[in-house]
Amino acid sequence: MAPDRPARVPVRARPRTLLPAAALAAAAAALLVLAPAPVLAAARLPLAPASPGAAAASAITIGPLQAFLVAFGYYLSNSPWLFGLAYFTLFRPLVAGLFVGLILGDPAQGTLVGATINLAYLGFISAGGTLPSDPGLAGWVGTTLALAGRLDPAQALALAVPIGLLGTVIFNLRMTADSVFAHWADARAEAGDIDGVARMNWLPGQAWLFLISVLPVFVLAYQGTDVVLRVLDALPAWVLNGLAVAGGILPAIGIALNMRFIFRGAVVPYFFLGYLVMVASDLKLQIVLVAAIGLVLAYLHVTFVTDARRREVGPSEAAPAGLRPGSEVSAASAGGSAAVAAASASATPTGSDAAPPRLTRGDVLRSWVLWTFFSHANYNYERLQGTGFAHAMTPIIRRLYRTEDEIRAALRRHLVFFNTEPNVGNVIHGAVIAMEEQRAAGAPIDDDAINSVKSGLMGPLAGIGDTISQGTLTPIFLAVGIGIAGASAAAGTSVAGRTGNPLGAAVYLLLIGVSVVLIGYLAWTQGYARGRTFVTDVLRSGAMERLLTGAGVLGNLVLGALAAQAVIVFLAPTVSLYETRLNLQTDILDKLFPGLLPLLLVVGTWYLLRRVSPLRLLALYLAISLVGAFPFFGPGPTNATDFSYSACTAALLHPYTACTPPSPAPAASPSPPPSPLASGAASPAASPSPTSSAAPS
Amino acid sequence: MPLKLVRVDDRLIHGQVVAVWLRAVGADRILVVDDAVAADPFLSDVLRLAAPPDVPVEVHGLAGGAARARELAASPEAAFVLLRSPVSALRLREAGVRFDVLNLGGLGAGPGRHPLHRSIHASDEELAALRRLEALGTRVELRLVADERPVPLRSVDRAGGPAPDVPDATR
Repeated sequence: MAPDRPARVPVRARPRTLLPAAALAAAAAALLVLAPAPVLAAARLPLAPASPGAAAASAITIGPLQAFLVAFGYYLSNSPWLFGLAYFTLFRPLVAGLFVGLILGDPAQGTLVGATINLAYLGFISAGGTLPSDPGLAGWVGTTLALAGRLDPAQALALAVPIGLLGTVIFNLRMTADSVFAHWADARAEAGDIDGVARMNWLPGQAWLFLISVLPVFVLAYQGTDVVLRVLDALPAWVLNGLAVAGGILPAIGIALNMRFIFRGAVVPYFFLGYLVMVASDLKLQIVLVAAIGLVLAYLHVTFVTDARRREVGPSEAAPAGLRPGSEVSAASAGGSAAVAAASASATPTGSDAAPPRLTRGDVLRSWVLWTFFSHANYNYERLQGTGFAHAMTPIIRRLYRTEDEIRAALRRHLVFFNTEPNVGNVIHGAVIAMEEQRAAGAPIDDDAINSVKSGLMGPLAGIGDTISQGTLTPIFLAVGIGIAGASAAAGTSVAGRTGNPLGAAVYLLLIGVSVVLIGYLAWTQGYARGRTFVTDVLRSGAMERLLTGAGVLGNLVLGALAAQAVIVFLAPTVSLYETRLNLQTDILDKLFPGLLPLLLVVGTWYLLRRVSPLRLLALYLAISLVGAFPFFGPGPTNATDFSYSACTAALLHPYTACTPPSPAPAASPSPPPSPLASGAASPAASPSPTSSAAPS
Repeated sequence: MPLKLVRVDDRLIHGQVVAVWLRAVGADRILVVDDAVAADPFLSDVLRLAAPPDVPVEVHGLAGGAARARELAASPEAAFVLLRSPVSALRLREAGVRFDVLNLGGLGAGPGRHPLHRSIHASDEELAALRRLEALGTRVELRLVADERPVPLRSVDRAGGPAPDVPDATR
């Protein structure tokens, strides 16, 4: 199957892709050198005044075994070994944070750090063999460095995002090399070696992935903290503040990226409702409650808006004329195991068997299990999930075809380019299995018929599937998990002033795991039973529109609420009016519209993302954070433990909390102390003394 | 309104298109132009149903598609044209459809298909069509998703770079 190249190769060969990869590596490495140092420098510093006893809780030392476990965890997050769920679970910083926490002995803090890092990746989506950034690397390495250096979560986020960019290099290396292994699978197919094709889909690709994942991450985890800790203290305190400011601003990008999917149409107001409800509760409302309210509203919206409109328009509008299920000739040939009986009745026996072979339920399920595990085991630029598809078909081919010619042809047929969403898209596999069964029984189904179902459906189902699984379910469940993980912050007592709750990661794991497997199973079995027309039947029924509209209501409400909690912008300066000094944040903005700036930032980011790439926006926001933290209006902080009011108000922006004026009697203060929930870290960070940093009265 | 985007992608409407491109370019309508798809009522139907409910999808063959694309370009609507092959793009251009940029998305590998960039592959015939398009003044960019930086065709196609008399394609 190797492309027969002309003598003069008109295009550069594939290794070209290594060049940009290398450039990116250099850029990312530069970022890595720049970013972690100050971030780690800030590590214990804001925490120090929080509790004197915290001095005992020094940096965690990472041993070789721990470093290996972290590296192995990162490998697993891209591997097929978790029933295809790694991408939805270990690859997400929320979950990675929990496991890094377990490895390093602090699962609560690990979950909190992971949850915070995940904020920047709420809108993450990998579609069609592209990876904009690697949340897996950001989660595993970011949490490790944060825990080892006792970083606060906001700074961990600013550190993790550049690390995530580094991960795209690993992805490119993998996607490039795996193309070669696809040709190894071709060779096994030519030999009629079913097991060989299956092996080539996982063995070389996974060995390579293991190598390129474990080695760099082991080095980063084992040596990284030491290296960056050595660069500590070199940077002025305002730079450290600037990174913490960035930690509050960057979640706006993650949230806005997700808004690109759900922030549109009639459900837009629910975003603002979620935001306002959370602000009204002084950021204390549990996200789970917001989600429960969202379910109620989703039901109401779908019933009284979506369904009412469908009734008005009439379902016939959605169904183009001349296309009723079953009315076309090809509908019968395109799937439905029910058609098998009819087909086999008139079939001429094939091969050496008199009776046409039938698939058992076990064959179909085994095929589903193989696909679920190994769809992305050898993901590559040349064929994407092509070898994964062939691997999944091995139980079917083994049952249906006897002669070596048949086997070779079937393997070849399914080794071609293929890519879809690996759960919703399973309708294709089900329908193709049914077609193979009929073909083996003698029905006149040629390669073109099978290929056209695969190539025609893989795109549309990827579009629908990505919207459902990556674009809707994952961020909603993540928002709930992140909310639970950080929700106990109100009662925060750890050195960082907040305690994470591992339950957040566990709840997310359960929700996403069950949904994804269920969707994949139903799509597979229904596709087999009802053929390709299952797709049009479901789409025409309006079920998908109701589901996505309802999810849009829920998603907007939850995302709005999370934005209120997670996006942190505090203006620091004061203005003088005769004798009165008014703080821009606490005395003016908070009196007019609490939470106005984060809301403007999120909506503005959503708007900007139509014109500006997320990467540029990231650089812009980092720059704004640093400039914002520069002490324009006074001497600024003398060191990272300087939390005096004058130092705080010397800059434009302040991290964690609003600047609180030193008052001998905090109770008499005109403005209430900021909620600790609003901050990415300890409220003591901005407070003049630990005693005044008590929870809001 | 001039066509918002003309894209070649052998999977037509899929994750990248629905998730990113549609929103990024702000299109009201998708126009799929492909003879094989137009001749297959089932696939046409799937494409129409797979797009978000608020974005209508039209499927046309090459002949009808060119006329429709010209019509849409002159209408106030913002249309997004999806094709399966660079050859179709050249046909449209030759049929008088104006577009300054041709976006190349995923094009699968296969026998006789050369890798251009990531998951973008092209046959000799398709490469010739792309070069011809550049000669006609259409800039060909390789770009899977809107968030990526576009890669110009000539940076991956040195052998068949544009002829010297061709006006600067980067204008």
